[in-house]
Amino acid sequence: MTWTWFHRLGSPPYIYRLAGILTPWFGWLAGVLLVGALYDGLVIAPPDYQQGDGFRIMYVHVPTAWLSLMIYTWMAVAAAVGLIWRIKVAHAVAAACAPIGASFTAVALLTGMLFGKPMWGTYWVWDPRLTSELLLLFLYLGYMGLRSSFDDLQRADRASAVLAIVGVVNVPIVHFSVVWWNSLHQGSSLSLTGKDTIATPMLIPLLLSMLGFTLYFVAVLLVRLRGEVLRRERAASWVAEVVAT
Amino acid sequence: MGGYARFLWPAYGVTALAVVLNIIWARGLLRRAKSEARRRIAMQGETR
Repeated sequence: MTWTWFHRLGSPPYIYRLAGILTPWFGWLAGVLLVGALYDGLVIAPPDYQQGDGFRIMYVHVPTAWLSLMIYTWMAVAAAVGLIWRIKVAHAVAAACAPIGASFTAVALLTGMLFGKPMWGTYWVWDPRLTSELLLLFLYLGYMGLRSSFDDLQRADRASAVLAIVGVVNVPIVHFSVVWWNSLHQGSSLSLTGKDTIATPMLIPLLLSMLGFTLYFVAVLLVRLRGEVLRRERAASWVAEVVAT
Repeated sequence: MGGYARFLWPAYGVTALAVVLNIIWARGLLRRAKSEARRRIAMQGETR
């Protein structure tokens, strides 16, 4: 198996151009999926027999919670690749992930609070799932704060990469918190191995929404990545060519 | 929305806000990086 494609991804001009080509594809596909999920989730899906129309918050809460965990995992993997193989583009990916992940972790917490009030009677409890998700937000903020505290980009990359890698231990804690401890938060509705505990008419808009948000994240990441790469490579000769066009 | 509107719409609203803001922030980062690169190139041209 040839690893040429992997090595090319480490080239800043190559990744800058590739990201520019891919962004509209991911962006438009995400837009179509999210509009479809919105219509399906708000109009077509029937009300839940227990939660009524309140369950429709799930179509924004679950995908944003999924993004919060997935983005952190991407960030930690990119940071590890950058740290181990000293690939600058990998550090740029990690840096580009953080603000997107932080914002969607905050949204997952806020939508969870708005889901919790009518279902549990309270906006917040110090439950394992909620507490570990809040810790995830602090990890994102800590990562961004640590990066901005260094003037030297290489030192910022290395220090923040260590934090991202150490903090990834929280990702399985968030995911399995409802299994490991007594939790007010409901268990997972989706399963790769077992049977889903959600009816098909309610499941379809959820899957559309999760896929739409994932593609949206990739589109936004690619735009941020181009900015990060350009910022780091501003002294390189290829930058003069691309900014002139 | 069966009495859930005051929870449902803010949840969708805050999500839509994050979706829009992330696009604006990302485009802003790229625009600033491009203009910084152009400024740097222009300064190099002047010093030659």
